[in-house]
Amino acid sequence: MAKKYSIKEDFSMMAILMIPVGVAVNVVGGQLASLLHLPMYLDTIGTIFTAIIAGPWVGAVTGMLTNIVTGILNPVNFWFIYVNVIAGLVTGFLARAGWFAVWWKGLIATIIMALVSTVASAPAVVYVFGGVTGSGTSLLTAVLMASGQSIWASVLSVEIIWTTLDRIISWLVSLGVMACIPDRTLVKFSLGELYTKKH
Amino acid sequence: MDKSYLELVQVQKKNKIEGLYPTTKLWILLFFVIWIFILSTIKFTSIQLPLLNLVWIPVLLFMFYISGDFVKCIKACRVILTIAAIIFLAQAFIIPGDREVFRLAFLKVSDSGLKKGFELSTMVLSIAGAFVWVFQTTDNKEIGQALEESGVNYTVSYIFVSTLNMINVLSKNSQTIMNAQRARGVETQGNMIVRAKAFVPSFIPLVLSAITGAEERVLTLESRGFAVKCQKTRVLKLQKSGLEKPAMIVCVIITVLLIAGRVVLWM
Repeated sequence: MAKKYSIKEDFSMMAILMIPVGVAVNVVGGQLASLLHLPMYLDTIGTIFTAIIAGPWVGAVTGMLTNIVTGILNPVNFWFIYVNVIAGLVTGFLARAGWFAVWWKGLIATIIMALVSTVASAPAVVYVFGGVTGSGTSLLTAVLMASGQSIWASVLSVEIIWTTLDRIISWLVSLGVMACIPDRTLVKFSLGELYTKKH
Repeated sequence: MDKSYLELVQVQKKNKIEGLYPTTKLWILLFFVIWIFILSTIKFTSIQLPLLNLVWIPVLLFMFYISGDFVKCIKACRVILTIAAIIFLAQAFIIPGDREVFRLAFLKVSDSGLKKGFELSTMVLSIAGAFVWVFQTTDNKEIGQALEESGVNYTVSYIFVSTLNMINVLSKNSQTIMNAQRARGVETQGNMIVRAKAFVPSFIPLVLSAITGAEERVLTLESRGFAVKCQKTRVLKLQKSGLEKPAMIVCVIITVLLIAGRVVLWM
């Protein structure tokens, strides 16, 4: 019989303590990316990582808390709380279905997640901020808009390419982290067993 | 006289504004945001600029000053200034409008671009400034305690406070790890591929050490009965500075006046 999942089981003591770590990893990842002058956000690694090992709800809480905490310094982020929640949920549900246990399925799952979050964030970017949120890709969007493209086309085309690349790199980094975690730690998470070295 | 441990861990604040009860500060924040929205509906000049948004900048500076944390707050505001500037410039130059206000070589500023840019950037600036005031004048542990006292589940408030602390810890750690890796010969400057390659050796040790730390904290918390369902005792005792009531009264009066003024202008 298939194992039944409960939200309560997802929020084990270990998972609860991973939420602050996930949020901090998100924030520090973003800081590190800008410190190294990389043209990427890399600010969802924590969300992706916690969702992959501890399921959708832990991922969603990590995503939500990230935007609440960063919103303290940049209120623009408050508008995008739901985007990170959705990203955490999508990653987590796909992880629960076992997609992240095989690398090519993981890649597809990451792309699906990136597409979903782009489509989810576009209305807020267009309606609230007129296409320009002050983030790194804003200037690119702005150039496209100035060249006469419609606002939806500019926002969607820039964000789809950028977000997908960004999420794939974040997923690869999470894979790297997971490869280094010993099995005895992995099994403490609700989905950890999927990623243990079975032999 | 030596202080006991219990006295040492208490939050001591001499300034009465800085020492306001955390919940009161959050209420003031809420009122402040409401005021910003009320005043931003009053438009001036021919292109409908909400000029009154600028009023909040001196108000915030005054609040920073009377709380005695001026330098700390201003430092925290630098990030916000950059964000607001980017938003303003990008919006002003990009959004097409009917009328050209200003021209710099090939860059045009239209009336609606200027309006949207001004509106958003001043809004972001003043709301973020208010957040800076609350979080720079309040300790993380005070926020956690206040959350718990207002009825939030202790796990939730623990997660929140622990997140605020964890961000500081991890960003310090990331500096240390980056320096260590540099000393070992990892290049952090150069073309983009070199810099991208530096990301992994700085980042993975950081996450791994955080996870190991979390494992140890599980043991600590469980041995102290965190998961036990019962009334928790607290070491930290929050104190009121005495200005809570007057502060709330002033806030309510300002809100009423602003709403009344807005309604009068409407008619």
